Amino acid sequence: MLSFIIRRLLLLPVTLLGLTFLIFLFMSALSPYALLSTYVNNPRQLQAPGAAQNLIKQYGLDKPFYVKYVSYLNQIIHGNLGWSQTMNETVVQVIKTRFPATLELALYSIIPIVIVGIWLGVVAAVHHNGLIDQILRVVALIGYSVPAFVLGLLLLFIFYGVLRWLPPGRLGLGFEMIYNSPAFHHYTGLVTIDALLNGRFWMFLDALKHLIDPVLTLSFLSWAGLLRITRSSMLEALGQDYVRTARAKGLSERVVINKHARRNALIPATTVAGLMFIGILGGVVITETIFNYPGIGSAMAQASEQLDYATVLGLSLLFGLITVVGNLVVDVAYALIDPRVRLG
Amino acid sequence: MKKILIIMMAVLLVGAFIGMAAGSVVNPNTLVEETIGPFDSMDPAWAYDTASGEVIWQLYENLVQYDGTSTVNLLPMLSTNVPSVADGTILDNGTTYVFHIRQGVYFHNGDILTPEDVVYSLERTVIFDRAGGPSWMLAGPLFPMIDGQYVSTIVQVVANELGLSNPLNYTSLSSLGIFATGTKNPLSDKYKQALINAFNLLAKDFEIKGNDVIIHLPQPYAPFLYILAHGANWSSILDKKWAADHNAWDGAADDWWYYHNPVESADPLRDIENGTGPYQLQYWIPGREMAFVRFDNYWGKPAPVKYAVIKYVNEFTTRLLDLLSGQADVIYVPIENLSEVENNPNVRVITKLPTLEVDNIYFTWNIASQGNSYIGSGKLDGNGIPPDFFSNLDVRKAFEYLFPYKQYIQQAWNGNAMQPNSCIIEGLLGYDPNIPMYQQDLAKATEYFKKAYNGELWQKGFKFTAVYNTGNTTRQLALQALSNYARQINPKFQINVVGELWSNFLNDYLAGKLPMYMMGWLADYPDPYDFADAYFASTGAYGSALGQNFIDFAQKNLDPLVNDLITNVVPSQRAAIAQKLSMLSYENALYIWTDQPYAYEVQRTWVKGWYYNAMRPGIDFYSLSK
Repeated sequence: MLSFIIRRLLLLPVTLLGLTFLIFLFMSALSPYALLSTYVNNPRQLQAPGAAQNLIKQYGLDKPFYVKYVSYLNQIIHGNLGWSQTMNETVVQVIKTRFPATLELALYSIIPIVIVGIWLGVVAAVHHNGLIDQILRVVALIGYSVPAFVLGLLLLFIFYGVLRWLPPGRLGLGFEMIYNSPAFHHYTGLVTIDALLNGRFWMFLDALKHLIDPVLTLSFLSWAGLLRITRSSMLEALGQDYVRTARAKGLSERVVINKHARRNALIPATTVAGLMFIGILGGVVITETIFNYPGIGSAMAQASEQLDYATVLGLSLLFGLITVVGNLVVDVAYALIDPRVRLG
Repeated sequence: MKKILIIMMAVLLVGAFIGMAAGSVVNPNTLVEETIGPFDSMDPAWAYDTASGEVIWQLYENLVQYDGTSTVNLLPMLSTNVPSVADGTILDNGTTYVFHIRQGVYFHNGDILTPEDVVYSLERTVIFDRAGGPSWMLAGPLFPMIDGQYVSTIVQVVANELGLSNPLNYTSLSSLGIFATGTKNPLSDKYKQALINAFNLLAKDFEIKGNDVIIHLPQPYAPFLYILAHGANWSSILDKKWAADHNAWDGAADDWWYYHNPVESADPLRDIENGTGPYQLQYWIPGREMAFVRFDNYWGKPAPVKYAVIKYVNEFTTRLLDLLSGQADVIYVPIENLSEVENNPNVRVITKLPTLEVDNIYFTWNIASQGNSYIGSGKLDGNGIPPDFFSNLDVRKAFEYLFPYKQYIQQAWNGNAMQPNSCIIEGLLGYDPNIPMYQQDLAKATEYFKKAYNGELWQKGFKFTAVYNTGNTTRQLALQALSNYARQINPKFQINVVGELWSNFLNDYLAGKLPMYMMGWLADYPDPYDFADAYFASTGAYGSALGQNFIDFAQKNLDPLVNDLITNVVPSQRAAIAQKLSMLSYENALYIWTDQPYAYEVQRTWVKGWYYNAMRPGIDFYSLSK
């Protein structure tokens, strides 16, 4: 297994190199004038004669593809991902400030996804073709079909527009000011954890309150998928010989389901849950935008809109890194859970 | 998606009526604005966008300020006087301005304002001169003219000092070839001296006498005071010592070029501030929000509300819900969503506020034809247009008569705009409501189309693409309307209306490929010259992009007037010049002036003290309470 992990980690730089190359290749299709749009929001900025050409020269927008690419790689080697024009700070700083928010959202979202998805999947399988199964299948279908922006807006409308319970953002105004004051120590960048570490329980609750809507949106969209996977693998497990044997031994149905069938059915579900977690970590653009949640998904959306290629590249690298490492972790976890799987 | 949103909004508004807590003020110690953005920089010499202007407005102050809602009358600010001829503080035919600097003014770090700070701040903007930035507005009045023209950058002055021919053609120091490769170290003493000389030409404009700053302009520059007024962030007053301590130039003549045209990440004042304004920065979360706290040592009366926050929230629904819940006091509402906030008892919608902004459709007189699919075949054969199609006066006049001005303002702007008769719009010196403007007249449009190209155009028809930048629905509607009416009067007239991403739009605009497109101009300062230069001058931001035929026309007919407009300091004469330019615009159908939009404001009814000024970039938190 160790050699498998090392091999996969060695592939990481190659994957990232390929990723940067592809994005650069797409970017090279754009003319210097098109790339200039990152720096010019209004033609009045070009009022001074030669302003366009000066900007093109200054930011090296007219340099050949390979020159820009080599220079970018050199930058990366030195830990510099460039300057984010949309966020007005370095891309590294964008990742530092935004990634913890997305990580927090992903962590809180994966809990209901796993618990509800697996639980309902097992329930549906146990009541195979019964009323509960049918209802859950319909609910799963809805979860699959409802776009994030519809569900997000609906939740925002109900829980904020009408009930005034769950506001958007990451913190309420007062707590936001405390959070950004020098007196508040940012240990992890996760608001809920930092609030507790700073001894601010009410801030912790406020942060939780702000997480409910986006977590609900994300989890409803994802647990439906997990429900379907769990249901089918559970059905498969329930038809296996060892389950029949367990029943023949006279074990109670609860023990048969929980100890024999569900444990085996969880293996594919665990893999899928891991991949879902990676997906959320990669940034959830729509959910973060609707709830004004300051994660990397909303940053990516803003940067793409403005053709801010330094940010797009930097965040793409981060996504690439998350995906490769995440998949590796899932593969290893899969091998650990299921002794039949041998990596190498 | 749009339909779903509209339905949801309707339901939401009903729900909001039911759920809204009526009277109690939310966050009484904090003013919250939610808008789109985000802003660019806190450095007054860098910023050239309204979002940055709004932030700088709260933090920094200028020598003078607008008098409330007026864009004409000025009041003292960091100067205790507004220079005028009457009191002898404008002298020498409008070339000398005397400012009595206010005493006892503190910067946010506790430093005291001095006349040296004033001189330093204005000089810094000029030497800073970032590409695409606002420095040209101070370079023009503060340097002597070269070859009878105002300069737009210190680079041109350096080129002139070096004795280069056509110095006005140089716009970047690197293009002068005076630095060692990859550095800003002058290659020789001669080059260094030219750089120093250029600065000295600027420095000699300023004289400090006791507590007065006296500015000697090399030549009259009529709108000079407006270029210095609050809202013009490029003229904000910085603390020289603080700026130098933060490596933002110490005011010396012999190294200014190291601080010239930096990239944004290298600008030391980008994310810090030290103004004299009524608020100081509390924190800044890039891309998300700015928070301000009242400055207790402010020289004026203290701000009524302790905290102010600007949040950048891109999603309209989120902004709306925050407004309805009271979490936001003021929000930005797109024009197409304005009806969704009207008639709410807790929300105040103020409309019909006059702006200093104009929108228009452009004719490119010489369209770049190489590989340009926007002009079809590139010939007058019914499948395209020739590259100089819009050089033809009859064609331009026909399009002027084709455009449905009233219908467009009613439908695209819901009546929140007025029809201008040129870029010298209402609110500017020289605006004359009696100057004729085109009205839709399909018979006349037909007449001019038939007249153009001796009837060949009418017989063969045309085909081209009109382009707008995506997301701008009013521009889309304007061009679509023109397209529909063109087809109505002659089915062979085909205008394909296409939306382009801003990047593609800018690319094609700069390449001169767009035959017809739509944009607008927002005043840098409330003077007709700001508009006339952009639209009418052969070197203007817009005029210069219309092709050689326009440039030739402008050099002969418009440039002398534009030049007069800036050198002449007699208001009545300047007004007459501006009117002449408007008339020329009408007679020569230079642009289709589609609208002068009204501004509008959406705020909670508990917000007090709000006023409108067309030159203010956003909100003045200092005036507000709740």
